Amino acid sequence: MNYFRLKKAAGYAVILVSSLVMLLPFATAVFNSLKTYQQYTAVPSTWLPDPAQWSNYAEVWNMADFGTYTLNSLIVAILSVIGAILSNSMIAYAFARLEFPLKNTLFLIVLGTMMIPAVVTMIPQFIIFKELNMLDTLMPLWIIEWLGQPFGIFLLRQAFLSVPTAYEDAAKLDGCNPFQIYWRVFLPMCKPALATLAIFTFMTKWNEILLPVLYLTSKEKYTLPIGILALQGQWTGNEQYLVAAALMSLLPILIVFLLGEKYFVHGAGSSGLK
Amino acid sequence: MRKHRIVTWLAAVGLSGALLVSGCSGSRDAAGNTGEKVSLKLGYYSSGSSDAKMQELVKRFMDKHPGIEVTTESAPYGKFFQKLDTQIAAGSAPDVWLSDGVYVAKFAERGAAKDLTDWVSKDLNTDDYYGLEFNKDANGRYWGVPQGVQIAVLFYNKEMFDKAGQPYPNENWTWDDLKQAAEVLTLDSSGRNARDPAFDGKAVNQFGLAFFSITEGWMSVFKSYGGGVLDETMQKSVIQSPENKRALEWIVDGMKRNLFTDPSDLKSFKSPVAPFPSRQAAMRIGIYARVLAANEAGLNYDVTLLPKGPDGKRFAPIIANSWVINSKTSDAKAQAAWEWIKYWVTDDEVQKEWARLGEAVPVKKSVANSPLFLETGTPPQNKQAFLDSFAFAGRLDDNAVWEEWLSKFNDSINRAFLGEMPVEEALAKADRDVQQVLDAFYQK
Repeated sequence: MNYFRLKKAAGYAVILVSSLVMLLPFATAVFNSLKTYQQYTAVPSTWLPDPAQWSNYAEVWNMADFGTYTLNSLIVAILSVIGAILSNSMIAYAFARLEFPLKNTLFLIVLGTMMIPAVVTMIPQFIIFKELNMLDTLMPLWIIEWLGQPFGIFLLRQAFLSVPTAYEDAAKLDGCNPFQIYWRVFLPMCKPALATLAIFTFMTKWNEILLPVLYLTSKEKYTLPIGILALQGQWTGNEQYLVAAALMSLLPILIVFLLGEKYFVHGAGSSGLK
Repeated sequence: MRKHRIVTWLAAVGLSGALLVSGCSGSRDAAGNTGEKVSLKLGYYSSGSSDAKMQELVKRFMDKHPGIEVTTESAPYGKFFQKLDTQIAAGSAPDVWLSDGVYVAKFAERGAAKDLTDWVSKDLNTDDYYGLEFNKDANGRYWGVPQGVQIAVLFYNKEMFDKAGQPYPNENWTWDDLKQAAEVLTLDSSGRNARDPAFDGKAVNQFGLAFFSITEGWMSVFKSYGGGVLDETMQKSVIQSPENKRALEWIVDGMKRNLFTDPSDLKSFKSPVAPFPSRQAAMRIGIYARVLAANEAGLNYDVTLLPKGPDGKRFAPIIANSWVINSKTSDAKAQAAWEWIKYWVTDDEVQKEWARLGEAVPVKKSVANSPLFLETGTPPQNKQAFLDSFAFAGRLDDNAVWEEWLSKFNDSINRAFLGEMPVEEALAKADRDVQQVLDAFYQK
């Protein structure tokens, strides 16, 4: 009995220590966001702000048009999520369940594109969007998600492969065509994988810096990460404001994660993405 | 149930449609509809305050030049150049942009910048401006006109000097004088200085000198010892010289004794330029812009000329951040871009407004030598030191592959700083690696 209690206590201790390790940087960021610049740069540094500068948050909000930046980020992230789910699931379904010539070769080619570094495609992609007259719009940031991405295709193909063929056969007997099978049987059965993809896409798009910097020019088109970056001058830090802004920008991700946590954990577990 | 689903689906489609429309909306700018006006795209890197000032100056420029319509695009410093490289490759770079001084040669030698020599000789009296001559190439051609100048001096914390009972640095100091003062100003966690036999070099609380990378580190020591990295053609390494060896030995000795910050010490700070403003270093080699952080931190400090080398030679690194015109832009736009540059450097009001931001030494000598710059009422008191340093200023051996050779150079030199590689070996390796970078570009 005592042995089991001890084992349990040890387990809790490990969990407690590891969660402290995880939480410490976050707590430090919160404390730093509430410091003055003098306190922020003071050596030896102090843990707690004294007094807490809650006004840092209000000041940051007023330093730039964060309302617009947030809206732009939301537009990019939401449209990307919708596009990623629709396009990747259709392609993945075809690779998982339909028969067509060169299926496996094509799938290998899709996976192969994951090996191409982003910097290699950056300039050609920029030229394409320039020719399409899409520079300084939000479109290049989300439209690529509507064209299928190898990671999403791979993730959803794995999920679709795990659905027993009996469901597909039953749907066929009921008169469903391939699109109806995909839409009415496979999508509802793979919600965890879809939620995983949605959260991954949302987080990636929400935090993306390189593409918005590349494509956006007007301040009113800025997304949150580059809006925050723009607060930082070449010469001075104002780092306490940057930390406050970064923490504020975390909120939507936190909300999305909490909403989809159940599916996300299940999806990540079942697809081997840990 | 089915009806409910259809409604939900329609709502989702409607929402995506609305977002799609709002995502696309406003994408077409009205730049094309400018009538007779020349539309000029101006690119620059900025922070919040400098961006607001730049916008204000652009507006004034347009008021004075009704035939020119300026659209601006800016980004934070590092990202700006990443974007610019892509834009240049795609043929959509701004007509005129603000370049870090060390990149002007890169844009010039790679064909992205327009030769401004004729315009400069026709419209500008070169003696009236600081930094202009530092944008000339080996053939005397101008590729950029300074927007603001950064030049390095010696910053010192007066409080720390007072506390240690040390006289403040002066214009006659040599690097050895600096090191001697650093011995007294470097303190361990028990408050013992570096001359104390019980001094604990592993627990330094206050460094004598903050030493960081090239501009605010080794370049001024190397050059004032008579050394350097490249010869006057900027295509050949001269790293393996007795002068560089002496200079490097002097630096390594200071780091070994923990008087100066070494590369690993810098990692323990919030940023590599933080030791001085965070009161962890008594002195630093610093460019003009460092006054912002020092003032923000409320330091009691001043500046003086950088020390002399053993033979009396002095060197102050200079970076003339400059306006560069796109070589691919049309003649009309290039002319409009030149009007902007002329407006920037010649108009007293522009120069004064920019000087008030306190980020750079003004380009126009008459403004830089006026009370507006020299007597701002905020530290440092001796701003004249920045202007006096122009007498022995020099570039950072910048060329088309400056970033590339610097990275190779730092790889070796940092190992010497950390005591992982003997001085001679580090110089030999740096020489080989840097020459390889130069040959790869210039011998093609």
